Amino acid sequence: MTTHPSHITLSLVPGIDRARVSDGELARGLMAGGTWATAETWRRFAPMVLTMAARALGSESEADDLAQEVFHRLFRRAKTLREPDSLRSFVFSFAVRVLKSELRRKRARSWLSFQQPETFVDLASGTLDIESRDLLRKFYALLDRLAARDRLVFALRNMERMTVEEIASSMELSVSTVKRSLAHATNKLSRWLESDLGWVDFLEGRGWR
Amino acid sequence: MTTPSAGESKGTRALAALTDLACGSVAPPDPVRLDKGLQALSVRLAAGKARRTALLRWSMVGTMATASVLGILWFSRARQHAPLPPTLAYRVEGGSVVDGGYLREAGNGGVKLFFTEGTEFVLMPGTRGRLRTVDNLGARIAIENGTASFQVTPSAERRWLVEVGPFLVTVKGTVFTVSWDTSKERFELRLRHGQVVVSGPVSGGDIALRTGQRLVVNLPTNETLITEQKPEEAWGDATVGPAPRAADLPQERPAAEKPAERKTIKATPGASLAVTAKVEGEHGWSEALAAGKLDRILADVDRAGVRATLEKASSEDLFALADAARYRRRVDLARGALLAERRRFPGSARTLDAAFLLGRVEESSERRLAHAIRWYDEYLAAAPTGTYAAEALGRKMTLTSKLEGNAQARALAEDYLRRFPSGSYAGSARALRRAP
Repeated sequence: MTTHPSHITLSLVPGIDRARVSDGELARGLMAGGTWATAETWRRFAPMVLTMAARALGSESEADDLAQEVFHRLFRRAKTLREPDSLRSFVFSFAVRVLKSELRRKRARSWLSFQQPETFVDLASGTLDIESRDLLRKFYALLDRLAARDRLVFALRNMERMTVEEIASSMELSVSTVKRSLAHATNKLSRWLESDLGWVDFLEGRGWR
Repeated sequence: MTTPSAGESKGTRALAALTDLACGSVAPPDPVRLDKGLQALSVRLAAGKARRTALLRWSMVGTMATASVLGILWFSRARQHAPLPPTLAYRVEGGSVVDGGYLREAGNGGVKLFFTEGTEFVLMPGTRGRLRTVDNLGARIAIENGTASFQVTPSAERRWLVEVGPFLVTVKGTVFTVSWDTSKERFELRLRHGQVVVSGPVSGGDIALRTGQRLVVNLPTNETLITEQKPEEAWGDATVGPAPRAADLPQERPAAEKPAERKTIKATPGASLAVTAKVEGEHGWSEALAAGKLDRILADVDRAGVRATLEKASSEDLFALADAARYRRRVDLARGALLAERRRFPGSARTLDAAFLLGRVEESSERRLAHAIRWYDEYLAAAPTGTYAAEALGRKMTLTSKLEGNAQARALAEDYLRRFPSGSYAGSARALRRAP
C-alpha cells in the first residue's frame, strides 16, 4: 500500500472565547438551542438576576429559586426573542415579571392562609451584626405590607437605581403610574417608620447607617 | 436610596438608611453558587427534555394505560373515601416563629400554636422549642428543653411528630403533655387520651403508650418507668376539662421564677386557651419593644428606679429592658438587666442568651473587648450548639483577631469553618485563614 502526501493545508484554529461573544450572537445561539449558549447566558446574566431578587426579597435562597425559574422559562421561550441584540434587557424584563408574580403569590398566600407570615431574612454577609439583622427583618416586614407592584417599583428605583422610564419600560407601565406607585410606596414606608420612633431613633443613634 | 437632606422627615431618613443597609447586605454571587445554580438548571432542563420525549413515547400506549389507570383509580377510591387533607395553616399566640423555626416567647404565658384543623400545641413558659416542618400531612416540632402539651385532632391522614430531646413521639389523635429536662436528661410523657409511640434511647425498642399511662425515662440512671394513672391525675390539681388548657398543665418553670412571678389560677372547663396567669410585675415591655417603643420602657425604669426594677422585674421584662437599653446605647443599664437576669433566674433558658448578649453589650466599648470574649466563651461552653453559638464563635474570632492578631484567631477560624461552614462569618474565617 502506498501513501500519497496530502495537498490540503491544515492549520490550528483557536476555539471561540464564549465570554467575548456579543449578546446578539449569544441570543442567536440560544435560539438555535446551543448548549454553550445556555451556560454562557447563565454566567453572564445570573449575577444580575440573583442580586436584584435578593435585594427585593430579602432572601438569597428565594433569589436562587427565582433565578432558576427565570432562566428555565427564558430558555424554553428563547425562540420568541425578537431582537437578539437586546438580550440583556429581555432577561431583565423577564426577571422583573417573574419577581412580580412571586411577590403577588406570596401576598396572596399570606392573605388566603389568614395568618401574618413571618419575615425571614437570609442575606449572607460576614459583617452583619445582630442589630443590623433585626433592622433588616424590620425593613422587609414593612416591605411585605406593600402591594406587589409598589414594592417592586420601590425596589427597582431605590435598590437597582433604575430611572422611572426604565422601570416603566421593564414593567410595561406608564411613567405616571410608576411615579404614583413610587410615591405611594415611599410615603407608606416613611409613615410606618415614623410611627415606630424607637427604631428611627436607634438608626439615628447609629448615624443613619 | 439617595441620602436625604437633613430637612427631610425622620421616617424618610430612616427609610433611606434601611434601604442602604439592605443593598449593602447583598453580596454578588460567588463562582461556587453560580456553578451550583447552573448545575441545577441543567438538570431541570434535561429532565424537561426527557419528560417531553417520554411523553411522546408514552402517548402511544396511553390509551391502553388509561383503562388500567381507571381501574386503579376505582380501586383506590373504594379504599380511600376521604379526599387529600388541605394544607395546614396555623397561628401563633404568645410569641412568634423566628429564623430556623425557633419559637420565641413574647410574653409570660408560653407559646401557643393553633392549627386550622383543631390541633393545639402549648409550650409552657420558658420552654424552648422549634417548629421544624408543617405540611398538609401534619407537623414536626422539637422540644429542646421544658414542657409542652398537645391536643391533636384525630385524623387517619395526618401524622404529627414531636422530637423531645433524643426521643421521638409519633402521634395520631391524642392529648398529652411531654417534658424534657436537658440538664438532668429526664424525659416524661403523660398521656391523657389516645395512643402514642415513643422512640429513642430506651431498652426494648419503641414504647407504645395508651390512655392514662405515664412514661418517665431517666437517661443518667438508665431507668424507664411506666405507671398507670387516672386521666384526671395526669393534670395535677387543675379541674379536668374536655381538653388540656394552658393553665391546667404542670408548671415546669425554674424554681427561682415560679413563686415570685406567677399566681395560680384555677381553670374552668371550656375556658379559653388564651386565659393565662396574670404575672406580677409584668410591664408588657416585650410588646412595647416589638412596637419600637424603646423610650417608653426606659421611662418606666427611670420612674420606678433602676435598682428596684432590676430586683423586681420579671425575666421577660428584664430581657426586653436589656434590648431597649442596648439599642438606646445605655450600656450600663443593658449590662445591669442582663446580669440581673442571670443572678435572679439562674435556671431560666434566657440565662444562656444573656451571656451572649452581655458579650454584645461589652463590645460597645473598645476597652471591654476582652470581657466580651469571656462572655462568648461562657456561652459557648454552656451551649455549644445553642441559638447563638455560630455568632458567639464568629464574634470571638473577630475580636481575637483585633486584640491578639490573625495568628491567634486562625485556630478559631478553622473551628468556625468546621462547625459552621456556611455561617455568616464563614467569609471572614476563610479570609483569616489566608491572611499572613
